[in-house]
Amino acid sequence: MATGTVKMSGGAPDLLLRGTSLFYLGLVIILPMAALVVEAARPGAAAFWEALRDPYAWHALKLTFITALVMVVVNALTGTATAWVLVRYDFPGRGLVNALIDLPFAVPTVVTGVMLVILFGPSSVVGTILGRYGWGVIYHQPGIVLALLFVTYPFVIRSVQPVLMEQDRAEEEAAATLGAGAWTTFRRVTLPGLWPSILTGAGLSFSRALGEFGSVVLVAGNQPLATKTAPLYIFGEIESGNRHGALVVSAVLLASSLLILVVLNGIQGRWGSEHGH
Amino acid sequence: MLDRARIGLWIAAVVLAPLVPGCGPGRDPNADELKIGAYSVVREVLGHGLLPAFKAEWKSRTGRVLNFSESYIGSGAQARAIASGFDADVAILSHEGDMELLVKAGRVKPTWKDGPNGGMITHSLVVIGHRPGNPKGIKDWPDLARPGIGVLYPDPKSSGGARWNINAIYGAAYLALRPANQGGPDLGAVRDLLRKVQANVVNMDQSGRQSMANFVERGTGDTVVTYENELLLRNRESQPIPYVIPPATLLIEGPAAVVETAVESHGSRAVAEAFLEFVRSDQGQRIVAEYGFRPVKPDVAAPRGAQALPPKLFTMADLGGWAKLEQELYGPKGLWTSIFTAETSERASGR
Repeated sequence: MATGTVKMSGGAPDLLLRGTSLFYLGLVIILPMAALVVEAARPGAAAFWEALRDPYAWHALKLTFITALVMVVVNALTGTATAWVLVRYDFPGRGLVNALIDLPFAVPTVVTGVMLVILFGPSSVVGTILGRYGWGVIYHQPGIVLALLFVTYPFVIRSVQPVLMEQDRAEEEAAATLGAGAWTTFRRVTLPGLWPSILTGAGLSFSRALGEFGSVVLVAGNQPLATKTAPLYIFGEIESGNRHGALVVSAVLLASSLLILVVLNGIQGRWGSEHGH
Repeated sequence: MLDRARIGLWIAAVVLAPLVPGCGPGRDPNADELKIGAYSVVREVLGHGLLPAFKAEWKSRTGRVLNFSESYIGSGAQARAIASGFDADVAILSHEGDMELLVKAGRVKPTWKDGPNGGMITHSLVVIGHRPGNPKGIKDWPDLARPGIGVLYPDPKSSGGARWNINAIYGAAYLALRPANQGGPDLGAVRDLLRKVQANVVNMDQSGRQSMANFVERGTGDTVVTYENELLLRNRESQPIPYVIPPATLLIEGPAAVVETAVESHGSRAVAEAFLEFVRSDQGQRIVAEYGFRPVKPDVAAPRGAQALPPKLFTMADLGGWAKLEQELYGPKGLWTSIFTAETSERASGR
């Protein structure tokens, strides 16, 4: 089972390497997180609860989770479809498209925000047309979802793609010879093997969306109880001197991301043992 | 190709140079240094106006070269940076609330306001910028509350400028209603105005500069509530934005002070105090006016393009001071904080 792990010899260089990398992990990742949690919890559970129950904080968290959830559903669908197209179809320019998938990771998130405002902003062509029908995108909640869709675009695709590539086509061919249509084959034969990778991609993009600041700050509108997401709330409270309120919401975001990662690990572990991968 | 030993030598030289007396930059015995910690709006007036002028003045007065290092960020962030150890010799902030943070942190003397002009170095007004020709007929604060008017101002949570803006709208309504009501004005009406204006706000940016960019470059909104000096500065850069001064508006007072802990450790008290004295002099105030601010000295002329002062100009002192208003407007039970909950409960009951 232990693929990819080297049996430790226990020699001095090995110990040094292990010690150094664990120390580095602790110093760079664990320590700042611990500092945040300790500081947020310092005034006590009652104060923590009080800060969380603040209607502005609560709404910001709710908005963040709802917009992230909408994004995840869209991403799971379109991401799986895109991965499918990239793996199963050969078309001119496939290599280029494949290379472009990761672009959203390379674009600074603030630039993403600027692009969306230029395209959909209230005074843009698209924004003016939409505005005539009473649809607001930028400075309204749909703008937040758009920004999240952009910045998390690669996650599901990049998680599903390798699994699809490795999948044995023999089972699909067998289903087809037995008279199953394309959709039935996909649903009953291909999809079951893809679920863990779809969930992984979805979970990662959800986690990422919870903390998205750079693009959202430009498109959200930043109105309390309407379009102010949790990261914007955190920034505003820090700037106006309410450190504890900011820390409590930060701690909730951190805990949520951690929980998602733990659950994902669990899913992959169970799936792996059930399906013998 | 350089061999390794030589590269190592070069690195050592670069790293160690500043440690050798007389070798690093900035410890020149014939030069003085002044570190400025300021808020973003004064970047132009300092960087292009006051600092070069004072450098020349210092040279002619003492024969010594003066070098500056400058930091410009939002006023609240700058105040927090200085309070937690950023060693600026001079602090120039958006409002006295932020300066009081430095007093509390023991960085600035509690007596900083005892100087000339109450410790202030710039004045300005809260005004309304509008589209050319004023198609929506904007004249006064209540016009911003009319249905269908797109308003821009930044988020008071992150922007000192936004607090000036909202304080002005609040103050105009508060003072207008005060005489009619002996037991203090009817805050319900004031809150109603703030709520209606807020409902017209298209987008709350993080800073006043961002709101201005949104208004000018992206054509968002019909009006922008802002500092008069920001608009006059734009006009100087030949991109005029027409504006109105509402009949009752707030005088913006920008403070500056010497940071005691920094000048003690740098030994720069003389130059820091001389700089502030220069800024407050006629010459300094003329430069301030060149960049669109109203001078704090009444005998210095107002900036070019500035309109006449409004009939009812009021100050923060008329409203009870910063500390009081911070709590009464933006605190957890503050008037401005409450306009959002009122709106949502109304929406909910309206269904």
